[in-house]
Amino acid sequence: MARKMLVDGELNQTNKEGAEYDFDLFVIGAGSGGVRAARFSANYGAKVGICELPFHPISSEVIGGVGGTCVIRGCVPKKILVYGATFGGEIEDARNYGWEVNEKLDFNWKKLLQKKTDEINRLNGIYKRLLSNASVKLLEGEGKIVGPNKVEVTQPDGTKLSYSAKHILIATGSRAHRPPIPGQELAITSDEALSLDDLPKHAVVFGGGYIAVEFASIWRGLGATVDLFYRKELPLRGFDDEMRAVVARNLEGRGIKLHPQTNLTELVKTDNGIKVITDHGGELIADVVLFATGRLPNTKRLNLEAVGVEIDKTGAVKVDEYSHTNIPSIWAVGDVTNRMNLTPVALMEGTCFAKTVFGGESSKPDYRNIPCAVFSIPPLSIVGLSEEEAIEQVNGDVLVFTSTFNPMKNTVSGRQEKTIMKLVVDAETDKVLGASMCGPDAPEIMQGIAVALKCGATKAQFDSTVGIHPSAAEEFVTMRSVSRRVTARGKAKTNL
Amino acid sequence: MATTSFTAPKLSSPTFQTLCRNFPLSLPIPKTLSSFSFHLSPFLSRFHLHHHHYHPPRFHPRRLFAVRAESENGAEPIRHYDFDLFTIGAGSGGVRASRFAANFGASVAVCELPFSTISSETTGGVGGTCVLRGCVPKKLMVYASKYSHEFDESNGFGWKYDTEPKHDWSTLMANKNAELQRLTGIYKNILNKAGVTLIEGRGKIVDPHTVDVDGKLYTARNILISVGGRPFIPDIPGREYAIDSDAALDLPSKPEKVAIVGGGYIALEFAGIFNGLTSEVHVFIRQKKVLRGFDEEIRDFVGEQMALRGIQFHTEESPQAIVKSADGSLSLKTNKGTIEGFSHIMFATGRRPNTKNLGLESVGVKINKNGAIEVDEYSRTTVPSIWAVGDVTDRINLTPVALMEGAALAKTLFQNEPTKPDYRAVPSAVFSQPPIGQVGLTEEQAIKEYGDIDVYTANFRPLKATLSGLPDRVFMKLIVCAKTNKVIGLHMCGEDSAEIAQGFAVAVKAGLTKADFDATVGIHPTSAEEFVTMRSPTRKIRQSSESQGNMGHEAETAAGV
Repeated sequence: MARKMLVDGELNQTNKEGAEYDFDLFVIGAGSGGVRAARFSANYGAKVGICELPFHPISSEVIGGVGGTCVIRGCVPKKILVYGATFGGEIEDARNYGWEVNEKLDFNWKKLLQKKTDEINRLNGIYKRLLSNASVKLLEGEGKIVGPNKVEVTQPDGTKLSYSAKHILIATGSRAHRPPIPGQELAITSDEALSLDDLPKHAVVFGGGYIAVEFASIWRGLGATVDLFYRKELPLRGFDDEMRAVVARNLEGRGIKLHPQTNLTELVKTDNGIKVITDHGGELIADVVLFATGRLPNTKRLNLEAVGVEIDKTGAVKVDEYSHTNIPSIWAVGDVTNRMNLTPVALMEGTCFAKTVFGGESSKPDYRNIPCAVFSIPPLSIVGLSEEEAIEQVNGDVLVFTSTFNPMKNTVSGRQEKTIMKLVVDAETDKVLGASMCGPDAPEIMQGIAVALKCGATKAQFDSTVGIHPSAAEEFVTMRSVSRRVTARGKAKTNL
Repeated sequence: MATTSFTAPKLSSPTFQTLCRNFPLSLPIPKTLSSFSFHLSPFLSRFHLHHHHYHPPRFHPRRLFAVRAESENGAEPIRHYDFDLFTIGAGSGGVRASRFAANFGASVAVCELPFSTISSETTGGVGGTCVLRGCVPKKLMVYASKYSHEFDESNGFGWKYDTEPKHDWSTLMANKNAELQRLTGIYKNILNKAGVTLIEGRGKIVDPHTVDVDGKLYTARNILISVGGRPFIPDIPGREYAIDSDAALDLPSKPEKVAIVGGGYIALEFAGIFNGLTSEVHVFIRQKKVLRGFDEEIRDFVGEQMALRGIQFHTEESPQAIVKSADGSLSLKTNKGTIEGFSHIMFATGRRPNTKNLGLESVGVKINKNGAIEVDEYSRTTVPSIWAVGDVTDRINLTPVALMEGAALAKTLFQNEPTKPDYRAVPSAVFSQPPIGQVGLTEEQAIKEYGDIDVYTANFRPLKATLSGLPDRVFMKLIVCAKTNKVIGLHMCGEDSAEIAQGFAVAVKAGLTKADFDATVGIHPTSAEEFVTMRSPTRKIRQSSESQGNMGHEAETAAGV
C-alpha cells in the first residue's frame, strides 16, 4: 500500500534513493490523465507534485483548473446541457401520453448555466480533495520543462518556483482550434459555448465532429434555430457510414438545418449579428457562430524544445506504447499525445503509467475495443470496428446484422425517429467485431456490450443471451437474420 | 424465417430432399422422418438454397432422438393429421413456436380467444399477456407516468411551466389502446406471413392428437399448450370490488386514491405508474420488504427510492376484507386496521396458470398443485404428443423466456435438433420508478452456491440528480466468485437500469471475469461506466473454515483506495 510520505512543508524530505530530487514525479496538468497518474503514483508510494493553471470555465494560455477539460469544459458541462436540452423533446413527447403542457414553454438559460457552473465548481473542489487525500502536492501556476528533471512553475503572482523530479509527466491536454478565416475572432469555441450569457437565437455551427453535432443538438433542443456546416457529405467522419447517415437524418428530424460539403469562408460583423459567408456563396445572419473544427495539443508553452522532447506536426507529444517520450525521464498521457482523445482513455494511460513507473509492472494501455459515445440527441454509441473498418481488416467474409425500429415510446408519442443498431461479425470466427447504436440510451446500453466485445464474445454468445423485455437493448441479442454478407472476394482490397 | 440463418434445417440428405419434392405428403415414410412436414417441403429446399452457407460445418446424423413425439410408441400406425403442430394460445411462446415451426416446414395452426383488454375464460387476443395485458401496455403507462418526474427534473435544468402540467387519462387510454390494436394486428400478420393457420376460439384438448375449437375438431401430430397465466385474487370478503392488473391497465378514469396489495414486481410497477399519474398510492405488503427473491440490498434501495417519490408502503400488513361505503369509496381492512377512502383497490398477488377447462385431466397431462403443467427439459408434458411453453408451465415467467422455450421447441420438433432452453443467467427488469435491472445470482444465492464471494457496490447520486436537486440515487452491485473471479451476479437500481443490464447480461452469460470488466474502458459520462470502474470490493465474504453449512460467513470491509 501507499507509503503516503509526503506532508505539506516537507518538500525537501529525501526520497529513497538519496536526496537528488524534490519529487519522484512531477505532473504538468491536473486533468483526467494527470490527476489519475498523480494519485495512483502516490498510492504506489511515490512523492508527487502536480501543477495546474488557475480555474476558469474558459481556458487560455494562462487559465485552466483542476479537473481539466472533461470536468470544466468538456464531458461534464456538455452532458449537463444535453440533459437540459433533451427535456425539450421529452416535453413534446409527453402530449400524446395525455399530458397537457403549455404551448409556449419558458426556459431559463441563465438558471441552467448557473447550476452548471455550481456543479463544476463542486467537482473542481472534489478533484482538489482527491489529490490532497492522495498526498499529492498541488501547485497553482504554469509549468514549464527546463531540464530533463527540472520543472519551473510560474505562479499567478509571477513568482517562479523550481523543482527537480525523477520523472516528469506531461498531461496538459488540448484546446479548441479555430480555422484561420477572415472574421474568425467573431466565432466562439466549445469553451465559450458552454458559458454563453444568453441562449443563441440563431446559431451556426461549423464542423462535423462530435462536438459540432452535440452543440447543434443542445441549442436546437433548447429552442434555437441551428445551421450546421461541415465539409464532408456526412457528419462524424471515422464512424460507421450507416450510423453517420442516421445521425444526419435525426439531426434534421429534430429541426437542425444541415449544410453538407460546405465551408465557411468569412465572418462579418453587422448590426443584426454575424454575417456568415460560405464557399457556396450562401449568406446568413447568426447571433452565435461556433467553430468545432478540431482541437490541438497544448504543447506550445511547455518549452519542450529546450530538452528535446519530440512532437509531431500537429504539436502532439510523441510517445511509445508506455507513454514514454524520447527523453527517458519524461512521459506524456492524455490528449496532449493525441492518441485517442477520451477521458477514460486518459485515465487508462495514467493508470498504466503509474503501474509501469512506480508499481513495478510494465503496463501498456490497450486501445482495442474502446467504446465511445456522441451525445447528440438522440445519442450514438459504438465499440469496436465500423462496418467499413471490418471489411478492410478482416480477411474472410463479414456478416452485418442491423435492426432499425421505431422505439416503443414513439409508438404513442408519435415522434418519427427510428433507433438503429448494428453488429459486425467475422463470418469465420463468429466473433463480434463491432457494435453500434443510434437512439435513446445508446451510451448506457453500449457499456455492457463493450465488456462482451473486449473479451471476444461471439455472435452465438449474444444469441444465447436472453433479452430484457421490453427494452431497446434486447435488440442486440435478438438479431437473428443477417442483413448482408460482405464476401472476401467482393471486397475492394486496398493494397497492403 | 429469421432463425434459419443460424439454424438451417439439418435434413440434408439429398435423397430425402428429392423425396420431399417429388412425393405427396401422404407417402408412407419411415418413422424416423415422419415428424417432418412434407407438403411444405418447398420451404425446406428454399431455405437450403438461401441459407446453406450458414450451416455450421458439422455433420448431423439423422438420428432418432428420445423426446421426439411418438418415438416410444413405435408400433402406432401411420396417421394423417390436419397439422403437424396445433398450438393453443397465441401469446409470446405460442406465436414464436408456431412461426418457427412453420419456417422449419411444419404445417401449423394456432387458436386464440377473441381480443379484449381484459382477459377471461372467453377473451384473450393474439399477442397474449405481453402485448395486450403485460409488458407493452405496462411500459407505455410507465412512459406516461415518468413524465411527472421529468417535469420535476426539468425545473432544475431551467424549464418552467406557467401552469402545472395536467394529465388527461382518456387521451392516454385511447392512444394506448390504438397501439394495442395495431400490435395485435401485427401479430396476426406475422402468423399469416409464416403460413400459420389462425383459428379464433377456445381450444380444448380432446385426445392426445385432437383439439376441439368451439365444436370443430382438428387433429395434430403435436399439440402445444401455451395459454399463459392470469392474475389471481385471494378469496377475501369484498374481493369483487378489487381490480387486477388487466383492469388496472385499462381503467376508464384516473384512480384518485389507490391501494395496491402485493410486493412483487407488478405491484411496484403499478405503484410507480399511478404515483406518476398523480394518484395517491398505498402499497400493502405482507413482508417487511418489497420484491421477495431479489437481492436484499436492491429490495431496500428500491423501497426507499419509491417512498421518496411519494408512495406510501404499509409493511407486514395483509388484507382481510374490502368494504364498500355508501359514497362508493372502498375501505381496506387489514391485520393492522382499516384504511378508508380508496377509489380503487388493486390486487397484485400473483398469477396462476390458465389450465382450467383445457381438457388436460382427461388426456392425462399432469399439472402441479399451482395448476402449472409439468414438463421436462424439452417442454414435453406427461403425454408424449403434448408440449407446453411459457407461463402455463410456471418456470420463469418472462416473455423472452417463453420465446426461448418456443424457439427451442420448434427446433426440437421440426429441425431434428433437440434443444433445451437454457435458464442460466436470464436477465430481467422491473419497470418500477426507478427501475431495476439484474442478471445472475443475488448475493444471498451466491453465498449459498459459491461460499466465497467478493461484493462490489456503488451508491451514488447521478449527474442528472445533482442538477435537478431531486433525491434520486443509483445503486449498483457486482457479485464475483472469489475462486474463479467470474462475475456471477449484477444488479442495478436507478435510471436506465433495464437498458444497461442487457449488455452486461451477454458478459455474465459468457462467463466473463471481474478482470474482463476491469479491462473494459468506460463510456464517459454514463452511469453504466460505474460497472467497469469498481476497483475495490465493498466486502469479501468467506466461509469460515470451522463453521459448518452455509451459515457461517463473515464480511470484511476492504480497505478503500
